[in-house]
Amino acid sequence: MNYVPGTASLIDDIDKKHLVLLRDGRTLIGYLRSIDQFANLVFHQTVERIHVGKKFGDIPRGIFIVRGENVVLLGEIDVDKPCDTLLQQVSIEEILEEQRLQQQTKQETEKVKMQVLKDRGLSIPKADNLDEY
Amino acid sequence: MFRFQSLDEDCTLEEEDEGLIEEEDEIDQFNDDTFGAGAIDDDWQEEHKRLAELDERDGLGAGLGFGGGGMGGEPDLGGAGDSSSARLPPTASHLPLPSSLPPLKFSSSSPGLPQPDVEDRAGGGGLAESLARLILDADPAIAGVGAAERPGPSPSSSGSSLSALQGLDRSRVLPQPSSIPHQHPHHPQHQLPPGPSTSGLPPGPPPSSMLSYQQQQQQHLLRRGPAPMGQMNSHSIWENSMGFGPVSVAPGLVTHMEDSPLMSIIKEVGLPKRPPQGRNDEGRDLSERVPPPRSSSPVIGSPPVRAVPIGTPPKQPMSHGLNHQIHHPTAVHVRAPVQHRYPPPFPERLSPNTLLNIANSPLCRGPFPPGVGPVLSQIQRAQLLNSQVAGFPRGGPAPPLLPGGGGFRPFFGPPPPHGHRMGPPPPHGPPNHTPPIRHNTTHLHPQHRRMLTQRMQNRGGDRSRTGGDRRSRDPYSNLMTQKEKEWVTKIQMMQLQSTDPYLDDYYYQNYYEKMEKRQERERDSSKKEHTTKLITPQVAKVEHTYRPVQFAGSLGKLTVSSVNNPRKMIDAVVTTRTDDEEKREKQVWNKRRQILYTVEKMYSLLLEVQDFEKRFMQTPEEDREALLEQHKTNTVQLCNSLREKEWDDRVSDEQCVMIMSVRKGKRLISRLLPFLPSPQAAAIVMAIARNLPALAKKDKQDQVLCWLVEPVSAVIQSLSSSALTDLLQELQGNEGQLATVLHNKFGVTLLYLILSEGERMQSSDPNCQLMDDNRWTELVFSVTRELLSIPTSSLSPPLFTPPNLLSLLSRYVDRQRLELLQDKLQISALSR
Repeated sequence: MNYVPGTASLIDDIDKKHLVLLRDGRTLIGYLRSIDQFANLVFHQTVERIHVGKKFGDIPRGIFIVRGENVVLLGEIDVDKPCDTLLQQVSIEEILEEQRLQQQTKQETEKVKMQVLKDRGLSIPKADNLDEY
Repeated sequence: MFRFQSLDEDCTLEEEDEGLIEEEDEIDQFNDDTFGAGAIDDDWQEEHKRLAELDERDGLGAGLGFGGGGMGGEPDLGGAGDSSSARLPPTASHLPLPSSLPPLKFSSSSPGLPQPDVEDRAGGGGLAESLARLILDADPAIAGVGAAERPGPSPSSSGSSLSALQGLDRSRVLPQPSSIPHQHPHHPQHQLPPGPSTSGLPPGPPPSSMLSYQQQQQQHLLRRGPAPMGQMNSHSIWENSMGFGPVSVAPGLVTHMEDSPLMSIIKEVGLPKRPPQGRNDEGRDLSERVPPPRSSSPVIGSPPVRAVPIGTPPKQPMSHGLNHQIHHPTAVHVRAPVQHRYPPPFPERLSPNTLLNIANSPLCRGPFPPGVGPVLSQIQRAQLLNSQVAGFPRGGPAPPLLPGGGGFRPFFGPPPPHGHRMGPPPPHGPPNHTPPIRHNTTHLHPQHRRMLTQRMQNRGGDRSRTGGDRRSRDPYSNLMTQKEKEWVTKIQMMQLQSTDPYLDDYYYQNYYEKMEKRQERERDSSKKEHTTKLITPQVAKVEHTYRPVQFAGSLGKLTVSSVNNPRKMIDAVVTTRTDDEEKREKQVWNKRRQILYTVEKMYSLLLEVQDFEKRFMQTPEEDREALLEQHKTNTVQLCNSLREKEWDDRVSDEQCVMIMSVRKGKRLISRLLPFLPSPQAAAIVMAIARNLPALAKKDKQDQVLCWLVEPVSAVIQSLSSSALTDLLQELQGNEGQLATVLHNKFGVTLLYLILSEGERMQSSDPNCQLMDDNRWTELVFSVTRELLSIPTSSLSPPLFTPPNLLSLLSRYVDRQRLELLQDKLQISALSR
């Protein structure tokens, strides 16, 4: 039921379970309760889902209010559809540990790479989010 | 005012005495101690009796019996003064009784009262009571009064009325003729024979009616005091303060208020504080209490004042005869009605759900599922209708015009003029003038909400789909009310308002146009479905210049600024730098910027030129001339921008190259070429050919030169033979240019285009001048030479190979070479 045909509106998504990806990389799953004109979202019974490899862990977070500008994408979850069989749910501690390990390895590889480049006299500048014309 | 009944006899008589005094002079003369120490400690009752007898004697023959009565009554005040002085503080700011007009006059300097007394509360009403009593008591007096007032300009009454007027004037109260009989009942004794014109007219009805009028006025005023804000929409903020105790009323404003002395008293004194048991008077309850008005006037645009505490159930049954289906609105109430300062088209007390139901039920009476019972609570209806509202816009034609534009006024600026259309269903329009209150929406206790949803589920659980089922089982569903959803939708719709949809929403409009055309082509013309189309409101362009709110006659600006009426703090003046200044700055760094700037400017011109046709169709007849003129100007401007600074007729090479060095510039030129007059277009193509190596180099990164192929080919085809020859020459240019040209895809394509055009000319028109001078032949020879010499690897494949190339080449080269060329260029004989 779209009040405004021909446009996209979040009104129809209210009270449904959604998955939202935020700009900082977090994934939240919750029931979308309220919106406003800036697409600020109010999530209820929110769960933050952390994915590491094939494992994931859910951290219950309660009620979330997300500022609209931080949303990357938002999609409805079909509760009837069976959950992913590929992914394996683990406990919170475990997933956090996995995440920490992942971050660690990533940092190490990055460090090595930079060192190698430095040895060759090259440098890859960090991708800044600057607008260039 | 009825509390006066609790007062004792003394007060009655005392007030009566003080009402005798009419003129300040006399008062001063005889009662200088009224407000201070030194009041004579007489027995005022005896004094009064004495005076009454005096009056009767005096007032019989004298026209100014009233005056005499007034005078006679004055000494009484002295006696009255002492007891009254007990209540009157020296500052004379305290009015003992509402009926005390004389003290009122004294207190003209001090209108405000710190604390109205118990007697004050009884004020206006008490006076009426006393008046009624007096009238009833003294029948001859009534007769006299009636006779006095009946003939308006009768001397006695006029004289008395004059004095009365004077007396009243001093208290800054506009007297009314109706107030005069008001005075008379005060002094029935000394008015007994009002004058020669004594008649036996029954004076009963008029005075009593007038009294009752007064009473009604008072009642009305008292009731008006704590009335909800909504009723006071057109009144100034001054009048709002009527209900809140003593009020300091500006002198000027008193005049236009109720101008009976009672009202004036009330104004001076302020309305009585609501006694504890007064709460149940007249059926009023808590929810009609209003908080004091905010300092920022809501008219300006602050958020509406919430007059009713959140969550209060509706007070009385909703008064609408529209729908018999709406039962028991008090049973389930999600949101208290919004009290706001703008006159709603619907009765105030309706909740959004009720409004929804009113609006929807006439339209959606049909589509209720069969399982629905006749009696539904509001929420259930809202839920149901929510799910079915989709049917509304889909089935029908475009939603009808809404008069609801005015509703946006308080919060969203000047209203769009009549004739704007709204996407959301129209019934929702009028009730939703104001956005919901901007605070916590979960005002219902969770338990309450759960109960509501459960109740809803119980009654309508099995008829909705599984999705709906789940939703109804969800105790937290519908936290966002329908009204809020509509509010957000409204905002979204407002964002879609545009004065020029082709400008603001270009892609959407074009897309739908194309789609419609496609559909028309595919479908039968007989059946035309009306797909749901978003009709964005077409608003006339209104200049929304911000003008800070100012009160007339006030010094300076508002001291209060809210989010909706911000105050302009700085007068910022925009200074634009001229082009010269721009040039004077760091030229090298700015060069690219300059190019981009030029490109942008040209682009906007170009877009206007391109849109010209479309707009031409749309504008009415009278505007077409102007549009045409503008179009021409634009075109000229475009041409000029490509010209050299010094020579107006030549296309500037440098400028062209500069523009083309930017990717966007190339695109610009490709779009621009069709619009230029042919000599200029030819010149540009020449310039391109001339500078092709440079262009090719600059284009290395972008590789977008090939955008130019189409327009250039169009231009080439319009060239004359000599021009063509020239072009070929330009292309070849200096030594080695051709090689570079052949390196580049565009170059090769261009070359082929030229050759093919030449061939076409030759073959089609035997008289063509191409062969007149040897230039063409020579050029072709050189081309073929180059083609043969160049290694195949460095020859870039063209975009396309014109079919007549082979025939051209066969004309100029011998067989052997032809075959070589064929191989090289991969031109097969079949490609002809």
